[in-house]
Amino acid sequence: MHELPERVLKIGEDIKSMRIRGAGRIARAAAEALAIAAEEFRGKNPDEFVRYLSSIGRYLTATRPTAVSLPNAVSYVLSRVHNALRSGASLEELQHITISTSKQFIEYSLAAVERIGKIGARRIENGDTVLTHCNSSAAISIIAHAYKQGKTMRVFATETRPKFQGYITARQLAKEGIDVTLIPDSAVRLVMKRVDKVVVGADAVTANGAVINKVGTSQIALAAKEARVRVFVAAETYKFSPVTVLGELVVIEERDPSEVLNLEILRQYTLLKIRNPAFDVTPPSYIDAIVTELGVIPPQAAIMILKDFFGWAIQEYESRGFEESEPSA
Amino acid sequence: MKILRLSLVSASRHLEEFLTKLKAEISSSKNVKELTNRLATTIEKEIRRRPTSAALINTSRRLLEKAYELMEVGLDIDEVRAGLVQEIDDLMREYRAALEVAACIASKRILNGDRVITISFSLGVLQAIKKAIENGKKFEVVVLESRPGSEGIELAKTLASMGVPTTLIVDSAARYHMKQATRVLIGSEAVAANGAVVNKVGTSLLALAANEARVRVFVIAPTQKFSFETIHGELIEIPTINPSLFVPQDLAEIGVKGYAPLFDVTPPEYIDAIATERGFIAPQAVPFLLRELYGSWPPRVPELSELEMKLKEVLHRA
Repeated sequence: MHELPERVLKIGEDIKSMRIRGAGRIARAAAEALAIAAEEFRGKNPDEFVRYLSSIGRYLTATRPTAVSLPNAVSYVLSRVHNALRSGASLEELQHITISTSKQFIEYSLAAVERIGKIGARRIENGDTVLTHCNSSAAISIIAHAYKQGKTMRVFATETRPKFQGYITARQLAKEGIDVTLIPDSAVRLVMKRVDKVVVGADAVTANGAVINKVGTSQIALAAKEARVRVFVAAETYKFSPVTVLGELVVIEERDPSEVLNLEILRQYTLLKIRNPAFDVTPPSYIDAIVTELGVIPPQAAIMILKDFFGWAIQEYESRGFEESEPSA
Repeated sequence: MKILRLSLVSASRHLEEFLTKLKAEISSSKNVKELTNRLATTIEKEIRRRPTSAALINTSRRLLEKAYELMEVGLDIDEVRAGLVQEIDDLMREYRAALEVAACIASKRILNGDRVITISFSLGVLQAIKKAIENGKKFEVVVLESRPGSEGIELAKTLASMGVPTTLIVDSAARYHMKQATRVLIGSEAVAANGAVVNKVGTSLLALAANEARVRVFVIAPTQKFSFETIHGELIEIPTINPSLFVPQDLAEIGVKGYAPLFDVTPPEYIDAIATERGFIAPQAVPFLLRELYGSWPPRVPELSELEMKLKEVLHRA
């Protein structure tokens, strides 16, 4: 058994601690980690390499349990490596394939965010007030593209407790020159009357079109529905979860209580506990459309994306059996 | 309307603080003119700071009415002072008693095995929970942090010290936890003529999520919290927090704005019942309750400015 290269461990740690965050970014980081692992492999034979790379894949996917982009990025690379091994590739060829498919994934991912921006921006009208939650590259891409097309708009960015990712969003939008206003998460329903569109990202999209995203998204979508405000979800296709086709539930990550309350304080009260789910599930009925790099789809058509683009992955998971289908958290 | 303080005290506690301050102002007034001025300025200042608090407005009205009544009889400072101090004590006692009864009524709706969700720090909710514990009920409470002031943290600590299994969550996680909740219990800042409830920002979102999950929402509001002004179509003004308290400076410098209202309005259709000292009522029955209390609809209630004018006239005549 080979040890995990230090640079790979560092990426894993950064994903876990959220120094690297956002479903797109962590997927790209995982692909990069696999390429690094291939470069730094010092073993001698192809089988050993694939076992080594698979164990690194498992390590990476276990860093964050909810974001499906992570296992999808790993599968994207690993499935190609497995295929090459089966057709008798040499160690050198396998290393090369790992590095080139990782690069391919990263490039695809960046292009997808750009493309989503262009497509989604068409849904933003001049003078719109847009509300966004947390910090999503794909959602920001839509808002920034619309602004670059000359549409004037105003953005409400939720501060997004507990980690205040809304600050990052506000900074990014303000730097583009966009009129942005921070609001507390609790003020979402109050401002919804003045909002024209909600644009959010996704950490995972399930087989039935439910969207898993930063906790709070589902109540924003609920308040939008109540106020008849349209909700758009920006999601690259690698955020669609193949295992959900087989009935698997997406695991909602519960993060450390210290993100919500100082542990010193918490220890003083034995009966006080913190629940800190990082994500929630927005039902498809509260979502008007999902903007992917391939086009806009109604959430209920998620299965089409999954069958078309992850047919191989679904088969793979199926052949591996249910026990192994979801990386352990 | 910008407010410079981030955290918000319970409307009930705020009222007590206000009455205590007013008592000191009145006690140290040397003549009726000074007393009238101090009374008017303190009231005006406090209402400007918290225009949403119906209890504050209603109590002020009672005091101005009393001052007028006393001064019509005579302008002896000792008598006016004593009369007003007495009235303040009466108001305080009445308010506490009303809150106690309302909380007691609400506590009957906390059942064994309940998981109650609440927001902010409401004295009424705290009393209802205390009462339920006294009655031997076993239940859990989930408290929303309640940004921007984070008053929920204080309530969570208080409840945990009282022996209640308490869970603190961020405001965004309200809907996530609603499926496991059995009840929502909240205090109130004001109740409008149509039964809409003004309370800490986030309440309406919580009530919406409860409604979606078919979880019942109960409000604790002694009748002092009923806003008479809204009967005549007045809108309740919602104060906001100064953005500088809320937006990090580096963001403000690059042009990021902030909007942090202190309260929001929950429509009556998301509220199952309001617990008052006169009983449990549907929010839509507010007019009925007011008629019961005041003998007529609409109740004949003078405006504050009107009362101030009358007071000044009495002073002039002297």
